[in-house]
Amino acid sequence: MSTRTGICNFCGTGCGHLLKVDNGVARGVFASPDHPVSQGRLCVRGWHIHELLSTRDRILAPMVRRNGRLEPVSYDEAIAAAADGLSRWSGDEIAFLASPRSSNEDNYCLARLARTVFRTPNIGLASDQGHGDAADVLLEGAGFPAMLGALTEIRKAKLILVVGGDIAKLNPIVGSEIHRAARRGAELVTLSGRLTQIAKLSGRHLWFKPGTLRHSLAALAKVLVERGWHDASFLRDRAEGFDDFARYLAGLDLAALAAASGLEPAAIEDLARSLAQAPTAMAFFTSGIAGLDRPSVALLFDLFLAAGKIGREGCGVNPVAGICNIVGSYDVGASPRFLAGCRRAEGPAAGRTPRELLAADPTPLKAMMVVDRDEEIVRHAAKLKALECLVYVGAYGNPFVEFAHVVIPSATCAEADGTYTNTERRIQLSRKKIEPPPGVRPAWRICADVAARRGASWPGASAEDVMREIAAAVPAYGAVTYAGLEKGFGLQWPVDAGHPAGTVRFDAAAAPRRLRFVPAGADLGVAAVSKDFPFLLMAGKANYFWHRNNVMKKTQIPKREYNALLLLYPRGFVELAASDAKALGVRDRAPVNVIAEGGSMRVAVRISGDVKPGTAFVPYFIEDMVPGFLNAAGAAIDEDQESAIPVRIEKV
Amino acid sequence: MYIMPKSQARALAAALAEDYDLHGPVLREESGEPMFDRVEDPAAIRLEAAIPYNPPKSVVFPQAERIMSYRYDREAKTVSLERDDLVRPKALVGLRACDLNGLLCLDRFYLGQEYVDEFYRDHRKKMFIVVNNCVRPFPQCFCVCTDSGPAAREGYDVALTGDGDDYLFEAGSEKGQALARRLGLKEAGPGAAGRKAKIIDASIARFDAEATENKAWISRVMNRITTGFISNDIWEFIGDQCFECGACSFVCPTCSCFNIEDINSREGRTDRMRSWDSCSYEGYTRMAGEHNPRRPVEDRRNKRFFCKLSYSQSRKYLRPGCVGCGRCNRVCPGDIGIANVVTYIRREITKAGAK
Repeated sequence: MSTRTGICNFCGTGCGHLLKVDNGVARGVFASPDHPVSQGRLCVRGWHIHELLSTRDRILAPMVRRNGRLEPVSYDEAIAAAADGLSRWSGDEIAFLASPRSSNEDNYCLARLARTVFRTPNIGLASDQGHGDAADVLLEGAGFPAMLGALTEIRKAKLILVVGGDIAKLNPIVGSEIHRAARRGAELVTLSGRLTQIAKLSGRHLWFKPGTLRHSLAALAKVLVERGWHDASFLRDRAEGFDDFARYLAGLDLAALAAASGLEPAAIEDLARSLAQAPTAMAFFTSGIAGLDRPSVALLFDLFLAAGKIGREGCGVNPVAGICNIVGSYDVGASPRFLAGCRRAEGPAAGRTPRELLAADPTPLKAMMVVDRDEEIVRHAAKLKALECLVYVGAYGNPFVEFAHVVIPSATCAEADGTYTNTERRIQLSRKKIEPPPGVRPAWRICADVAARRGASWPGASAEDVMREIAAAVPAYGAVTYAGLEKGFGLQWPVDAGHPAGTVRFDAAAAPRRLRFVPAGADLGVAAVSKDFPFLLMAGKANYFWHRNNVMKKTQIPKREYNALLLLYPRGFVELAASDAKALGVRDRAPVNVIAEGGSMRVAVRISGDVKPGTAFVPYFIEDMVPGFLNAAGAAIDEDQESAIPVRIEKV
Repeated sequence: MYIMPKSQARALAAALAEDYDLHGPVLREESGEPMFDRVEDPAAIRLEAAIPYNPPKSVVFPQAERIMSYRYDREAKTVSLERDDLVRPKALVGLRACDLNGLLCLDRFYLGQEYVDEFYRDHRKKMFIVVNNCVRPFPQCFCVCTDSGPAAREGYDVALTGDGDDYLFEAGSEKGQALARRLGLKEAGPGAAGRKAKIIDASIARFDAEATENKAWISRVMNRITTGFISNDIWEFIGDQCFECGACSFVCPTCSCFNIEDINSREGRTDRMRSWDSCSYEGYTRMAGEHNPRRPVEDRRNKRFFCKLSYSQSRKYLRPGCVGCGRCNRVCPGDIGIANVVTYIRREITKAGAK
């Protein structure tokens, strides 16, 4: 048995762990007490990563589909088939689907393959809408497209505002750090449409009506500014656009905002006052598969900017990534919106995500290369099946394999060197700990071999060489070296000539330009109930039930926890308040039809104290629900997990 | 009792390495973290290291272990079984007294009842244990409250107690005596037992000032937990803080619960895996027929602390189920390591008493 330091590969927290390897098999994991973020903590997923890493559901041989069947071929044949198959298509006929769980090196090479070899800007992560919106707002507002504060500074915040999804379930160790700060005396406030665990741990919970996060944030900002509680001297020295923001707020009707959100005006005023008076304050919200939408992030940013809680110690607006390397994937350009270095892609360089292309009717797509995906397949199975060329690269058994024309196995995160950038911009090096199966290569190497087949010669011979190229291409990674990362527990970008030891948080005083208020844009909108659709339905995730669970299903204990719920509610459930269930005449686990304007689904009732009467909640991890309901009715939910759709619920 | 110069510790480990797989506290090369691990080189064992982050239970009860595999031949309709040979004589060198008590708890669970667990037994038999009594506490320790340290009373082959440049070397078994002879150790003389008692008393005296992370007053709380006079508010307060990660069970030297799963492979072989489990998980107590007696998280937390601290459970272990190592407090994402839970309950007792 050997114990090697590593980085957890599940969520964006980037906890440190010690992987135990016995005869080339991961047989255990232990928390790393010295890691600056996790400090000896792991969540249920992190404590079982060895189960995933030792799964026997691996792709072991390169395969090519011939006469409808996948047949094992040599690695070189598979590379040739992939390169030649993809090369027949161009423009919107081809797209690349990257994984937010891949290393920076893997994604940098995939983005380079897409943009320089196959000459398409259509590369995306598919599950990145929320994080993309957050990066976009923070780039516009602060010139800094990721978490402005730092996880290691949570303990310095006197007020912590958690917005939306349950951070205690989605990023448990971030939730833990917030809870610890609260136990030490920080004021913890949750703003959400549902009673979450973090709300239960909060001193104050502002429980708004589903779909009115924007209204709640706008109301807070309006009170803060109109009472004169904003930080005028900070804004004078560091910000621009405040007058426009104040004018925007002046045009809003506070009584109408309060009525829409269902919040008590006094509670809004109290929180606005606390935020203004707190010496330091941080906001957290989960981003990723479905984070907050752009107007919500903009309002949150503007609220904290007006309160002077940006760019100082213990302050900041902080998106928390749901998957381990979403931030890094953006940094290295695995996105249609951004080139490597988070430069906005414009004109012909701006592409569309594979998801957007698949959603179009008819889809222009003819060919796709997919790396290590574990979700998004059910929605568009028919269109994927109809593709002329689908190349799948991945380590684990995956539903994409059923549709693929070429399959190339890749190494797991424990089988290759690579860096992963966590949600606080911490670039962490994870060393190879396990020998991959014979002939299996890391994904970046596979990309390079496909490129070579198309006549492009990439000189890099190791992951470290690829990082040298990233450092040259991405300014925020300019001074990153493997040797530098290995000295401690990684470095937080920007890591450049001016910040060789990295940057713990965004510093307004040192920023090259002023902070800017970001217009929230369009009218705030509100999902309204009607006689026909009297319930407001929310959708969300919980801790075992994310990423369509292709990954979780390869574990044992997390899978069991997933199944414990699925066995009770095999086709999913809708949470209802006890009084609503009584009025409908249904008991727990009774089937109901949930009907929205665009579609309906049959699920079981789960009576819960976590939703208010008149509202309902579905966890959207259950595949069967997706084609029948969320495809039709779930566009709003795709955009923003705090949105809501009016539905009718009928006893079956 | 014998005297062993500290410089001879390496020779002790080397002598054991001839007959046993060596396990002991090591400082990890990359970061200097103290871990309890298998070592090839006897010199890697660091008796002076702080209490390891991980409990030594993985030596007898690994986190994930294949206990059997079988292959089903569809054509012939036959099953062939294969069992891994788990019998490797092991020497645990430098165990702390709390962790030795944890091992004894596991013995009583796995070996001391009507059913003997053969996998555990195979790991446990032919074991040589060298305990290293604590001459000073570490910050998280509270073994004085759980009657499990700082010195071990039973269950060892050799007990070492640091005394300046020497160790006082006590043999607890024939094997221990033989090792003393083999190492050519000097008799310590008639005053040694008194000297050891003084060293241990001095260690106990330092808990107040040095073991400051956790203060647990176990005995006050055992009564409450046993009789069930703890208000539901307290359990809810505790349950709300549970992140359901399972870490408390995994780092606990006495937690013995496991899960069994048969894992199929495409080539037809099935591995039967046994792995650590935790009562903090909802699926842990789910029964056939979908009934779950402990579905709400506070009921599951209640179960854990009942298991560690109630009188009825203590009869099973012949001691409290907590050995005072303080690890659960360090790894808990909530604030409900056992020492904190004891504090919450004591606070309630005090309040009730004031009424």
